[in-house]
Amino acid sequence: MSSEPITGGCQCGAVRYSCESLGRPSICHCRMCQKAFGNFFGALVTGIGVTWTRGTRKIFHSSNTNYRGFCGECGTPLTYEHETYGIEIAIGTLDNPDIAIPQLQVNLHDQRACFANLAQTPKPTVEQLAKLAAWNGNVISHQHPDHDTEVWPLSKP
Amino acid sequence: MSNKQYFGGCQCGAVRFRVSGAIGEASICHCRMCQKASGAHALALVSVRDADFRWTRGAPSWFQSSNAAKRGFCTACGTPLAYDAPDGLALSVVTFDEPDLIAPTVAYGVEGKLKWADGLAKLPKHNTMDDLDGAPFLTTLVSYQHPDHDTDFWPPEKKS
Repeated sequence: MSSEPITGGCQCGAVRYSCESLGRPSICHCRMCQKAFGNFFGALVTGIGVTWTRGTRKIFHSSNTNYRGFCGECGTPLTYEHETYGIEIAIGTLDNPDIAIPQLQVNLHDQRACFANLAQTPKPTVEQLAKLAAWNGNVISHQHPDHDTEVWPLSKP
Repeated sequence: MSNKQYFGGCQCGAVRFRVSGAIGEASICHCRMCQKASGAHALALVSVRDADFRWTRGAPSWFQSSNAAKRGFCTACGTPLAYDAPDGLALSVVTFDEPDLIAPTVAYGVEGKLKWADGLAKLPKHNTMDDLDGAPFLTTLVSYQHPDHDTDFWPPEKKS
């Protein structure tokens, strides 16, 4: 177990959590995870000793047995939960997602057609990159930083 | 202009949309903002700026993720639905009822790509029902997810 605290939270910073340790990281292709994450699959890791350190997640009962937590302020998908079997944390919400490298994939029957080739998706052209650089030059992020904060937001957007 | 129609919406069905005509570029973005907004390694978006677009049931809530752009999500279930920037509206590809029609053709934000992102397709594969010892609830699971087509009424009946 790492001596560093395992922390994370949503995009806007209204919900923050800490975990004592993490279990098995995986990706799930099921259509439920696709919808909940707005993504080709869900990436989840078992959270052990989860404490909500700022705010708490809003709950959607996605089935009779399980529920999914998200931030009511910014929508970030945060958890997949079962009363008895505990909490799975959305890996992308960890302050350092690289500590939870997925080890297996489940529910292959719902795998999207483009999944196998996603890693080969072309990078932007020079023209697209120039357009992006012009755009990024004027962007001020309102995203919470990847560490705990005493006060957030620092000022009203 | 194409007469093709596309439909989609959030997990719980409180928000549904329709797109008529030509959809634009589909991309996958690895930037840390898109990672957070989707709670995942990246977010796939398709531009609908040149199409006829409407929210046909409910509407998303918006989070102003920067001075330039805002992100739409369902306030009842959290599904990330949209990204609205000065160059137009884009929708989350996987929230379409038929996401396989819309494959990303360009990857943005690759400087933020997680180091394990490219290896996902090679991960060992696991059948869900092999996990029954760990998750016996799977045998009695009833989905409350909205189906992948429009409905006149949703949910069909009140859940207890």
